[in-house]
Amino acid sequence: MTEESNRQGSAGRILSKRPALPSGRQEWVEFLFRFQSLFGLIVVFLAAIAFSPRRDGEILFLSLVNLTNILRSVSEIGIIAIGMTFVILVGGIDLSVGSILGLAATGSAVLMVEDNFGVLPAVLLVLLIGMAFGAVQGFVSTRFAVQAFIVTLAGLQIGRGLARIWSGGQGVAISYGEGKGQAPESFSILSERVFNGLVPVPALIFFIVGAIAVFVLNKTTFSRHVYAIGGNERAARISGVPVMRVKITVFAISGMLAALAGIIHAGQLSQGSPNDGIAYELDAIAAVVVGGTSLMGGVGSVVGTIGGAIMLGVLNNILALNSIDINTQYLIKGLVIVAAAALLSLRSGDR
Amino acid sequence: MDSSSGTLLQARGIEKSFGGVRALRGVDFELRRGEVHALLGENGAGKSTLVNVLSGVIPDYEGRVEIGGREVAFRRPGDAQDAGLATIHQELDLVLDMTVAENLFLGREPRTALRLFDRRRLLRDAEAALEEAGISLDPSRKVRSLRVGERQMVEIARALSLDARILIMDEPTAALADAEVEHLFSVVRELRQREVSVIYISHRLEELEEVADRATVFRNGEVVGTVEVPKSTRGQLIRMMVGQPVSELYPDAGVEKEGELLRVEGLSVRPRRPKRGRSEPRDVSINVGRGEIVGLAGIMGSGRTELLETLFGMGASGARAGLVSLEGEELKLGSPRQAIAAGIGFVPEDRKELGLVLEQSVNSNTTIAALRRFARAGLMNGSREREAVDRTISDLNIRASGRNALVRTLSGGNQQKVLFGRQLLIKPRLLLLDEPTRGVDVGAKAEIYRLLSGLAADGMGILMASSELPELLGMCDRIYVLRSGRIAAELKASEASQEAILEAATAGDEREAV
Repeated sequence: MTEESNRQGSAGRILSKRPALPSGRQEWVEFLFRFQSLFGLIVVFLAAIAFSPRRDGEILFLSLVNLTNILRSVSEIGIIAIGMTFVILVGGIDLSVGSILGLAATGSAVLMVEDNFGVLPAVLLVLLIGMAFGAVQGFVSTRFAVQAFIVTLAGLQIGRGLARIWSGGQGVAISYGEGKGQAPESFSILSERVFNGLVPVPALIFFIVGAIAVFVLNKTTFSRHVYAIGGNERAARISGVPVMRVKITVFAISGMLAALAGIIHAGQLSQGSPNDGIAYELDAIAAVVVGGTSLMGGVGSVVGTIGGAIMLGVLNNILALNSIDINTQYLIKGLVIVAAAALLSLRSGDR
Repeated sequence: MDSSSGTLLQARGIEKSFGGVRALRGVDFELRRGEVHALLGENGAGKSTLVNVLSGVIPDYEGRVEIGGREVAFRRPGDAQDAGLATIHQELDLVLDMTVAENLFLGREPRTALRLFDRRRLLRDAEAALEEAGISLDPSRKVRSLRVGERQMVEIARALSLDARILIMDEPTAALADAEVEHLFSVVRELRQREVSVIYISHRLEELEEVADRATVFRNGEVVGTVEVPKSTRGQLIRMMVGQPVSELYPDAGVEKEGELLRVEGLSVRPRRPKRGRSEPRDVSINVGRGEIVGLAGIMGSGRTELLETLFGMGASGARAGLVSLEGEELKLGSPRQAIAAGIGFVPEDRKELGLVLEQSVNSNTTIAALRRFARAGLMNGSREREAVDRTISDLNIRASGRNALVRTLSGGNQQKVLFGRQLLIKPRLLLLDEPTRGVDVGAKAEIYRLLSGLAADGMGILMASSELPELLGMCDRIYVLRSGRIAAELKASEASQEAILEAATAGDEREAV
């Protein structure tokens, strides 16, 4: 391994640092690479403008409604992907998030519609369930040294099963009102927009969660522990890092954020179904990887993940705007993910 | 076809820069047929870069390399291997979960007439290759179960079986016990007989005198000179390396000892799952005083590392007997976290596997064990942390482009200093060291020794395991000799000698000496 490739590879890796404002030309290049998923996002964004259908000279893709719709549509996956980033940073993976989303969507519907829960108690209880679900998976994986892949694969089944049992296998429609069998009106805010009807509430939540996660991953001792465990778990352990506690925490974060996405899902669709969120874990992992986080752990950022999630959302959107056949859409999305991942490893210039 | 008499490899005017840093400045190097040619120099002097150029790891450089009179330009290590140039790596690259035989013939497995994998011939060929190299190893053993020295022998056998004419050995003895070193030297001498040339990188001058014919000394990316080793003195070589006379490698001891710090009484560990090659502590009673430097000697597998790991709370899990206390407080030995909280620091032997997070910065690596000092309520205080890291970098003279440099880009000596810096930030009362100067150049060694003396003078107790006896004799006040997990002898350094230590370390069970 040459030192030169190290230098290049390092550009996107020192993510626990606050990026300085770029000055010279070299710094600009490094700056672009450091936020390479944003760079990719810009490329996809420009391509989207170029390929966007137009009506009366107006670029449909750039319309405010369309852009905010993209943000709304990526917010669930985005929130899940942020939690997934924590897990992947310690070298783990969480396949259970789609099922937790389904469990949370079903749970919040059942609690409010059938059990007369208020919005706040229902939301808190569901978040707690998601967090506990994740924490248990983290505990089992760490304590019994079972790979996270297997534990969360089991979690995927268990979560789905619990959701079905909870709702009797049925989707639960949420209607709003005061009476019995109705959910409190305030829950419907999740399907609305704020700030002059401009910003969809789910997108707002997505960015708040993102901002908190960026803060946590840059400013806390916890983040140092996360990066150290992902980079070299044994070294972290002999440095006194509480490895088990940190790992349980990242799975708890992932579970809780998946539950949050589930609540938003129920709010947006006014129903909770145990079939919600199937295969969401794969979209979330794609967003994390496209965002530049290494599946080996230790390298990556939440900013990258947010960029990755939005990038995939823009891609979805432009394909849909052009009425591309759904099967072809899958094909193109797959190719883009592979290309992004290949570009990433080019950039790292190692391994 | 040879241009000059006996010249096998010739490099002229090699230049290589890494982003503005000139790692090699017009280096000339000549390797003769059948000679053992040592490369000397402090870490970062250019030895490794030259070797990387020669072996195809670095494809883009300026200058000219000839082998057997013909210009070569390797694009990748595989090209070099095809041309008969093989590298025995400092970090051995073997597939741990495959057998010795499978590793020997990795990528060129013998096949049957039907192009299927021929396991029987593989074993037969492997046995032949090992015997050829004079190595006694069971080829069906998993590499994971081998000691470092044995793994290295596998690498050498692999290179030889590839018909290598030039062998590059990077710190080959760093992890070897003395008996294994002797074995290695006999293999190297055997190679010379067979007209194989060896480029030999080592920081241990005393072993060069045993094996090397010539030595080329590097300093700051330039060749200072090439000398005939038998005609040179050690002092001469050191002067060439550091550019100034090193008056004294080991600083004066003579610190007042006051009071007991660490006390270990009858410590035994019976692991739940015993592992081959590990010697857990058996009825170990030792003590370390404040300001005292105590050595742990013993051959490989004698249990030095296991004892240190047990004291640091990362030993094998299982039944434990005995008492361990630090300044009278009993220690639980439950986890490294507890050990650190109790005021114990540990620099492990394998700094890459156990010590460092290579892909992360000097900054993160230095403070990871002491984050609490730079944080309030879990929030990092960036400026205080940066100050502490910068101070560590200058105090320990860590050569890096800055605190944000990735640890991976640092030389071995500087990586080791980062590990020391990390320990110092937790302000330990007792510092445990396992091979503290392994793979570290002379200059950095002297700096580490000075640092240790200073720490001891400030009242820190130091317990260090080392397989370099001169180091133990030079640094320590007392030395415990371990054998199969037991304390075989306790010697005052002033009265000890290499012979006495070796005798105690090997008495009774010659078998263990490999």
